[in-house]
Amino acid sequence: MRPFLLEGGSVSQMPVAEGKSVQQTVELLTRKLEMLGAEKQGTFCVDCETYHTASSTLGSQGQAGKLMYVMHNSEYPLSCFALFENGPCLIADTNFDVLMVKLKGFFQSAKASKIETRGTRYQYCDFLVKVGTVTMGPSARGISVEVEYGPCVVPSDCWSLLLEFLQSFLGSHTPGAPAVFGNRHDAVYGPADTVVQYMELFNKIRKQQQVPVAGIR
Amino acid sequence: MADVLSVGVNLEAFAQAISAIQALRSSVSRVFDCLKDGMRNKETLEGREKAFIAHFQDNLQSVNRDLNELERLSNLVGKPSENHPLHNSGLLSLDPVQDKTPLYSQLLQAYKWSNKLQYHAGLASGLLNQQSLKRSANQMGVSAKRRPKAQPTTLVLPPQYVDDVISRIDRMFPEMSIHLSRPNGTSAMLLVTLGKVLKVIVVMRSLFIDRTIVKGYNENVYTEDGKLDIWSKSNYQVFQKVTDHATTALLHYQLPQMPDVVVRSFMTWLRSYIKLFQAPCQRCGKFLQDGLPPTWRDFRTLEAFHDTCRQ
Repeated sequence: MRPFLLEGGSVSQMPVAEGKSVQQTVELLTRKLEMLGAEKQGTFCVDCETYHTASSTLGSQGQAGKLMYVMHNSEYPLSCFALFENGPCLIADTNFDVLMVKLKGFFQSAKASKIETRGTRYQYCDFLVKVGTVTMGPSARGISVEVEYGPCVVPSDCWSLLLEFLQSFLGSHTPGAPAVFGNRHDAVYGPADTVVQYMELFNKIRKQQQVPVAGIR
Repeated sequence: MADVLSVGVNLEAFAQAISAIQALRSSVSRVFDCLKDGMRNKETLEGREKAFIAHFQDNLQSVNRDLNELERLSNLVGKPSENHPLHNSGLLSLDPVQDKTPLYSQLLQAYKWSNKLQYHAGLASGLLNQQSLKRSANQMGVSAKRRPKAQPTTLVLPPQYVDDVISRIDRMFPEMSIHLSRPNGTSAMLLVTLGKVLKVIVVMRSLFIDRTIVKGYNENVYTEDGKLDIWSKSNYQVFQKVTDHATTALLHYQLPQMPDVVVRSFMTWLRSYIKLFQAPCQRCGKFLQDGLPPTWRDFRTLEAFHDTCRQ
């Protein structure tokens, strides 16, 4: 099992301890957080559905259909995010889901593509930590950890601060600097950036579909 | 309480007089006992008469002695003074039902307490006056007669002058922008935006800084009517901490005669917060302490410290 790390700024992989299942690793992380002094504050859920452009709209050149992801984040319950892989991200309200039904002719839902992560939210000082289990259908595929530092809006400013916080409860599994920071130095971080990172994370997990799902390695 | 009442009364003589009365009573009763007993049984009539008379005389003499003693003592005791030095409160003390209406004892306690309070307050004000906290240019200890009728000049500055000073400071630092408004009368309210890190609301009284509130860059600083919200605190603990530090700073930078220098130093100090999330603590080298970044900026060197790490 490979849990994945995602925070206000980065996506990366990290290996899990030998002989532990997904649930046990999640419990380990939550216990470490609670020992640090974090308070539990409810649950969270991020889910993602994939759509691809319907074959009827593809041009005669036979260009490949683009994949569109429609995502929801419980942190923004009244919004719906629609994004392409390297393209723009649209933030709409929840009626967008209904709109997608009407656009059935143009975008078709990929089969069994729904992937989601669910877990608990923790608050530690100004940090918001979400530890969730990534599931695709009935099976658990990995762990997502999201850390958000509220007061700072420019991600490149507080990366070192975030890193130090991650080290305090992840130990040696802390990831490297994220690639997203390089592009936009001073741009203000927004909810769209979080959702983009979740999408990349889910894609990574999906690509690992071939790995047999085993409880204990 | 007893010594308050005994003005003019000699207590010892009083006690002695009471025992003298008891002695007198006993000697008088001995006289009557002797008379009642009559003559004792003796051999001759003369002997009996003599013994009786001698006994009777002894008793009368002891009565005389005791009476003289009592008279002497009663002269010593003296009179309780006629006037009531306690006036109406003394009349309260004559109330015999002490457990139901302990008015007099409570009155005395309240009086003693207020005396002590006055004494301690006098001591405290003497100590506090040694450390002057007034930031205006008023002179201390000037009596009411000699105090000038007009207010000190630094408190009544024309608003145009205040505007000029603030706009000059605004141009001083590129990453800090100051917006001045006067929604409530003549006191200026500044909204200082420092890069993309934080926003500070500064409430002023002519050129003196009165209060500051520090909020995050993404937090709302306006109320629902669109006015500047000068009361609500930030939602983030780090900015609540910085607000406390800013209040300490505005009390630290004091120069009653030159308030514009004070405002300039305060803004220079505030500007050091541009690296709030990037600078590690100079003492421990880490970024986080209890979940907070180094929020303290030294007043002279502008170095970053954690609140618990500062010297």
